[in-house]
Amino acid sequence: MNFQQAQTIAQLNGEEAIPTVCGMCGPGGPGGGCGIYAFVRNGVFTRVAGMDECPVNKGAICAKGHAAPQWVYSADRLKYPLRRVGKKGEGKFERVSWEVAITHIAEVLTEQKALHGAKSLAILTPAKRAYSAYLQRFLTAHGSPNYGHSGICAMQRAFAFLYTLGDYPRPDYNNADLIIYWGRQPIYAGPVAPPARAFLAAKKRGAKIVAIKPSVEPDVGMADIWLPVRPGTDAALALAMLHVVIRENLIDHEFVEKWCYGFNQLRDHVLQFTPEWAESVCGVPVFQIEELARLYATTPRATIDLGNGVEHAPSANDAIRAIGILMAITGHLDRKGANIFIKPPANAPKDITLRDRYDRDLVEALVGPEFPPAFQPFLEGPSSAYYRILESVLTEKPYPIRGIIAPGTQPLVSTRGTKTVLAALEKLEFFVIVDVARTAEMAYADIVLPVATCYETDHPYHNVPGWLMAPNRVIEPLGPYKSTFEFFLDLGKAMGYGNDFWSGDIAAAMDDQLMPLGLDMAQLRQHPTGIVKQPPPQDYEKYQTVFNRRSPRLGNPPFLPQGKVALYNNSFEQEGFSPLPEWREPPESLSGTPELAGEYPLILSDYHTSRNYSASWQRNIPHLREIQPVPVLHIHPEAASAREISEHDWVRVSSPYGWMKVQAELYPGIRPDTVMILHGWWQGCSELGIEDYPIADGGANVNLMYSVDPEKAYDPLVTAMTSQTLVEVTKWRELQ
Amino acid sequence: MNTTGNEHYISFQPENCTQCHGCEIACKAWRELEYGVQYRRVRNLWRGDYPEIRSFTLSLACLHCVEPACAAVCPSEAITKEAEGGVVTVDEALCTGCKLCAEACPFGVPQFGEEGVMQKCDLCHSHQPADCDPPCVDTCPGKALVFVKEGASEKRNAEQRLVRLISSAE
Repeated sequence: MNFQQAQTIAQLNGEEAIPTVCGMCGPGGPGGGCGIYAFVRNGVFTRVAGMDECPVNKGAICAKGHAAPQWVYSADRLKYPLRRVGKKGEGKFERVSWEVAITHIAEVLTEQKALHGAKSLAILTPAKRAYSAYLQRFLTAHGSPNYGHSGICAMQRAFAFLYTLGDYPRPDYNNADLIIYWGRQPIYAGPVAPPARAFLAAKKRGAKIVAIKPSVEPDVGMADIWLPVRPGTDAALALAMLHVVIRENLIDHEFVEKWCYGFNQLRDHVLQFTPEWAESVCGVPVFQIEELARLYATTPRATIDLGNGVEHAPSANDAIRAIGILMAITGHLDRKGANIFIKPPANAPKDITLRDRYDRDLVEALVGPEFPPAFQPFLEGPSSAYYRILESVLTEKPYPIRGIIAPGTQPLVSTRGTKTVLAALEKLEFFVIVDVARTAEMAYADIVLPVATCYETDHPYHNVPGWLMAPNRVIEPLGPYKSTFEFFLDLGKAMGYGNDFWSGDIAAAMDDQLMPLGLDMAQLRQHPTGIVKQPPPQDYEKYQTVFNRRSPRLGNPPFLPQGKVALYNNSFEQEGFSPLPEWREPPESLSGTPELAGEYPLILSDYHTSRNYSASWQRNIPHLREIQPVPVLHIHPEAASAREISEHDWVRVSSPYGWMKVQAELYPGIRPDTVMILHGWWQGCSELGIEDYPIADGGANVNLMYSVDPEKAYDPLVTAMTSQTLVEVTKWRELQ
Repeated sequence: MNTTGNEHYISFQPENCTQCHGCEIACKAWRELEYGVQYRRVRNLWRGDYPEIRSFTLSLACLHCVEPACAAVCPSEAITKEAEGGVVTVDEALCTGCKLCAEACPFGVPQFGEEGVMQKCDLCHSHQPADCDPPCVDTCPGKALVFVKEGASEKRNAEQRLVRLISSAE
């Protein structure tokens, strides 16, 4: 609805309609950036409507967005700042003030820095949030490089693409005749965002839709072609597609000649990856591999939308490089309807990450580099892999992290290796949680700071493609809360870094960042529904510019040393990595470890997104929990009946590393050799009488099911962690 | 009243639905429904067998049928089809909670909360200004839900389309 309609409805109901930004897919800070009208009655936040004027969601809003009031008023909200008084894990706290909590953290971090160096502090980051830059700013001001990125999200794609193509190749949805959604969830990843609208528009105009993933989700249900790939085998599929297009000479010779480096080495290398070989690994029939390779190569306006699904495997980087190479050699780069390079906006808010202070010492101090040190910093600055930070607490290699701040992220359910993480949290010297609601690992915290939801604050400014908006406070904070942004300002000031933190003044922080855009928060707020920005016109074939783009590595060498697409990658070769995309089996798989298939005959993997939850959050929201009340395992009816499992039976899922107790959903749209579950289950929903599940064995936490073997479980270049293993599923019987 | 017909309802176009469940929760939030009660439900339905399998979606609320089966069986005459717009409404004071309507409805629409009386979608007639769509329609990203006003024969066809859609699932 538009602002006028919202005001009319509000008046009719004795309410006020407040235009602002939804925060439900980035709890603790705006995520997706959809415009909403928040309705308030007698000081109570009651409901939400989508904002027509916002170009992101154009008036629509998803299930999560509508459930916002239940999140704000949840019984699981943290009430006040807490300081541990009992043993770690006991969960005994005393109530303290915000100021006492900040002072306590500052004292401990100052002491740890004096004794062990600044690098002993790590901050774990959730997915990219509006406050991510504040984490980086704080770490750099403190002197630590240990920004703990998840190692399974977005940056893995960005890294492989940028060092292969010089830029991220965006799908030109609106002009494509063929769209391949590969390991991608175009709907759950943002049901009211432009990619979901583009999906429907493409269907409507008759574009062919291909989906590559192990099970049928709604997007696959609407696709023309489905390739039911085994989890974690995308690299094998991509390499076989390269084999087919080269064998059948379906390549753009002119482009390859002029703009690609190392074609002959690539040609010889992919000879071994036949479709027959790929079928035995990825489970997709030869004819489908060949047909898709031909269809893609011979459709001029064909695009690939590569999703997060490819980032969870030991050959993640290889899969992404191979797909980038496939785009390049078939002439699908930066042409209309293909994969295009988007020019950065002319004006951007001020970058606050202090990246001019990055130096060799900082990079060499990384405790567990997410990307090899030679390629650090990457786009977001220097980063350590989230799991490796926690692992260092136990191994003390190369040194132990001694202090961790977790703002809006839950290490026990957000990363793999739950048993290691639990042991690390028991041993960790100092652990700070900054969150909206109670978290899975709260009992191990030394300090817990409750933060305001975005509905209880009036910042930050919100800048997404096409829209600039000043959010408005919907209700007064329900407790002694400040925002995550203010947490870092307050802590920065208390640490003596006030000069870098606007002397603790959040309004000054906002205005400073907006300055390059020629306005301040007060002026932006004069536009109640924000400012709509027109994208610059798209021009194509910008190869000369893009292929010479400079990297953020120290010294800023170009991403592509030859100024050409790196089919053969010298940069990786120089650092001891394969110059060509390879295939590595997951730690356990039907083709790689057939000896395990007797005891564990099914492949297990997990879903990264869902229609109703953001990662491991929001299980406590009744409206959302009613959609999906219990953790379900998708299992094909044939696999179920072979095990005498019926619909909604509770089952035990056992891998070589742990086990879960979950409910079976007989799911005809999944590979019969594969079972899948949504990740992130632990939290109960007291309003619906649902209790928490155990974090460890016997719960529904899929993270503990996978290998974390340093030799097998990672992509060696980009630290992607495996989310594939082999399991057996048995009907749950009491006294088991 | 619309002059082109006198049947109001929310039509559903499955080809425009991405199964986001936004409509379901918009309804729950805007109508402040109690736990367990749903005026609108989003369901995934299957067609075919692996690997030639596809799914499709159904977003279903009261159709306000031309000849409502629920009203026909109600022993206390609590269910009425209104003259204006053909909206099927429930008089909570008359409903005894016998649930015969739930058995009669081919779409599983009637809901019973704590109070035990039948409740369901009333097109938000009493809740929205005239120029605003019901929240489920307003929130739909693909315009899969559309508020329509048309004649009785078109409306009957829409009911039949829905029956065929449901029966095409396996």
